[in-house]
Amino acid sequence: MKKPDVKLVILGDVNVGKTSLLHRYTERRFKDTVSTVGGAFFLKQWGPYNISIWDTAGREQFHGLGSMYCRGAAAVVLTYDVTNWQSFAELEDRFLALTDTASADCIFAIVGNKADLTDECASVPHPEAERDACPCPSPVSTTKSHKQVVKEDAVALYKRILKYKMLEEKQCQAAEAMCFETSAKSGYNVDLLFETLFDMVVPGILRKRAEGLSQTVDLMECKGTGPKSSCCY
Amino acid sequence: MDRKHPENEEALQSKSLSWCSPCLIDHAEPAPISTNVTLDVGDSELDLDGPSLIERDSFDNELLEKQTEVVIAERADNIDDDEKEDKCGGLHAESLDQEGEQMQNALNEVDSYKSTFSLASKVQPKEDECIQKDKCELGKLDIEDEGSSEDRDLSDSVSTDNTLEDSSEFGRPAPVLAGSTGNHIEGPGGRMSGPSSPLLEQSGGSSALSHRDEDVTAESWRLHRKHVFVLSEAGKPIYSRYGNEEALSSTMGVMMALVSFVQSGENVIRSIYSEDHKVVFVQQGPLVLVSVSRGRQSEQQLRKELQYVYYQIISMLTQGSVARIFERKKNYDLRRLLAGSEKILDGLLNFVDSDPSFLLSAVHCLPLSSSLRDSLSLILQKAITPNLVFSILIAKNQLLTIVQEKAVIEDARLEPADLHLLLNLIRASSAFQAGEIWTPICLPLFNPDGYFYAYISYLDPPECTVCLLLLSTDKEAFYSVAECKRRIEESMRTQNSLQSIAAIQSYSVVQVGVSDLRHFMYKPFDVPDNCKQLTQFTSPEMEAPYSIEEERHRLFDMYRYLHSRIHSSSRPLKLIYHVAEKETLLAWVTSKFELYTCFSPLVTKTSAINAITKLLRWIKKEEDRLFIRYPPKYSTTPNPSKGSRGAKGGSDRQDMTDNGFLSLL
Ligand SMILES: Nc1nc2c(ncn2[C@@H]2O[C@H](COP(=O)(O)OP(=O)(O)OP(=O)(O)O)[C@@H](O)[C@H]2O)c(=O)[nH]1
Ligand SMILES: [Mg+2]
Repeated sequence: MKKPDVKLVILGDVNVGKTSLLHRYTERRFKDTVSTVGGAFFLKQWGPYNISIWDTAGREQFHGLGSMYCRGAAAVVLTYDVTNWQSFAELEDRFLALTDTASADCIFAIVGNKADLTDECASVPHPEAERDACPCPSPVSTTKSHKQVVKEDAVALYKRILKYKMLEEKQCQAAEAMCFETSAKSGYNVDLLFETLFDMVVPGILRKRAEGLSQTVDLMECKGTGPKSSCCY
Repeated sequence: MDRKHPENEEALQSKSLSWCSPCLIDHAEPAPISTNVTLDVGDSELDLDGPSLIERDSFDNELLEKQTEVVIAERADNIDDDEKEDKCGGLHAESLDQEGEQMQNALNEVDSYKSTFSLASKVQPKEDECIQKDKCELGKLDIEDEGSSEDRDLSDSVSTDNTLEDSSEFGRPAPVLAGSTGNHIEGPGGRMSGPSSPLLEQSGGSSALSHRDEDVTAESWRLHRKHVFVLSEAGKPIYSRYGNEEALSSTMGVMMALVSFVQSGENVIRSIYSEDHKVVFVQQGPLVLVSVSRGRQSEQQLRKELQYVYYQIISMLTQGSVARIFERKKNYDLRRLLAGSEKILDGLLNFVDSDPSFLLSAVHCLPLSSSLRDSLSLILQKAITPNLVFSILIAKNQLLTIVQEKAVIEDARLEPADLHLLLNLIRASSAFQAGEIWTPICLPLFNPDGYFYAYISYLDPPECTVCLLLLSTDKEAFYSVAECKRRIEESMRTQNSLQSIAAIQSYSVVQVGVSDLRHFMYKPFDVPDNCKQLTQFTSPEMEAPYSIEEERHRLFDMYRYLHSRIHSSSRPLKLIYHVAEKETLLAWVTSKFELYTCFSPLVTKTSAINAITKLLRWIKKEEDRLFIRYPPKYSTTPNPSKGSRGAKGGSDRQDMTDNGFLSLL
């Protein structure tokens, strides 16, 4: 059995398109989705490495599981919907705390999805008025929506996250490089997002191997590398 | 169909009397049903030739003239019930009398929403103990004394199915505020005169999104066969089967007004009968569930369906957290937690409307040679890890095998309803087909307050027909449970199990070898020494003429009707011989089984009886293939108390709560 070397977790509010992004990347298409229940586990072969990916549910109902999915993660993708300010605000309010269980050198990416829906010119800054709207995002329409979150907001959030994690920006990637705008529908920037992250976690895998040490108890147990050992995820 | 059949004539005569009379006859005594019919249950021999009541029935408007029915009824076991009802009736009469004016206002309010609901409620306040039937023309409000039957939610205090045109249909001796249902099918605005067939309407399993976007003021919205609403006690909308809950908030407000008005009189509203709708209310903790149905399903059945909806919500949130949330904040918007779950509830309601498992409260397992089933069970039995409690293999939405942890099975058994909820979750979330799922799930009948953690994965991608479901009590066990799946996969590969499973066919009724038999549903009751077994039923594939969805629904409706008659709380029946236009049905319940059969319309009573005898013999012979005889067990927990109900679940719940819900409030 393939043994995952590293873990990547996708977080974000309901309906922002986490599952769609992963589908687009793995299956090269945009298909109908159902709201995720709990979390879905995938294994991705990346060169000689196996990367495990958790596509988590955005529903508040499953909030309690979040820290379990994040445990020991090497990369966390914080996803929002560019047409929905609330989905962006939730990242800080609800999801950031879940990443406390992630690996100490965890890589963060901030992803604004559904870029295809926005009409760049129509973008408006933080529409406070719409924040307290109904909790369910409005259904996808064919007309262009207002862009509610611009890339500068994401960059600012990224810097706040580094501060929260007590990391220095110069040791990490430049904020601009870690904020993506994507469209699962058109495929825009989707490969770029995943492949950038995969490339970034590889040094971590090598470092870990070199050290011969692992971050978590789980990893300790399976240093024997028996073919059937159940850990090392 | 032969209209000169003697029964038909008899029926027409016996019916014409009651049709002519302007109002329903209120039978103070049980209906004049036959008493000297002998029913020999022991030997599977039926005797339908004795004098028996022949009922006519209006299953469908156009069938009106074409049906006869032989009913052999069990009586004399309802005296207690009737007495109870009697008292309730009195009580209500009192309280309603005092507040007659207020009641009138509330009902007027309903009237003003008639355009939305077609609720023709012209119930007059009562003036004295004697019910003014002639005055109450259209509506019937069925209210029940609080607490008197909270538990027996399957009983309905008034058994009248207002779509029946049948002299034996009447309210209980002292029905509460019962009015004549006034449902003259010939009259204008008869329920079947709608432009679209409800069956056709129902058959479209169209996407949930379009249902959500439906215009709730449109005629098409009103024509839906069965609406289901869920609201909180504060009147906040939580779920609507069709249309957006937001758009329906005023409608739900009226429902809540009705509920709380009746509550203020220390009563519980249970149902409202109108000319062409039945409105059934179920209150469960802080949630109110309402079903508005145009079909002829019994109140009892609708009530049970609402119960399933409640259970599905509980399976996602647990009863305890729902209660706590509303204790803290009465007007909490539960959709915050359920957003995204609508498709699961939509799926459940479609499932309930098309699969007899819910009606029969039994699990449908795929017929399988016992050697193959045993080998699959053995594979599951060998792939275990601590805290694993159930290993379930599903193919084509039916059960292949289930293996349970020893300690758990001694504690309690898995209820069919819990398994249905799991199957619905898998069915409604086609996204499960990718990846391996790990999700908390509560099995409300097993323990309404604890979570299990479900591992769900398909074993045959990309076809995705064979699904493995592993339930653990340990939230952190994903990786070790996933490892069990690898082992199961491995064993199945070496034994070629997937090919064997792919070859499994549900059986055809032709295999039974009984001419004229078109379809049946057979549910054996647990025999005492086997009581830990899962309740199951068996049924062949629906074939021509029921291969068309519309016909399938029609047959299912007839089964539901027979089921409601068999299980009527006022007058349960043992045997029904029902001659319809396109088929003849026979339903029979004994201490050992419940059986529904469907024959071609040309069958005679004698040949139907012979056919059933043959069918029962065939089932006996095939028993090992048709049912899971002895669910195997394994032991995964060195400390048996750990895996059992309550203890572990409790701590997990705490966990979820602390991490999740409470922080929101
Ligand atoms: N226009 C557009 N729609 C998208 C895009 N990505 C996702 N959607 C739509 O948004 C809806 C939600 O997508 P999902 O991928 O299921 O969202 P999710 O984040 O996985 O949601 P949860 O699993 O409930 O947390 C679906 O109707 C998608 O079709 C996108 O890039 N553009
Ligand atoms: Mg998803």
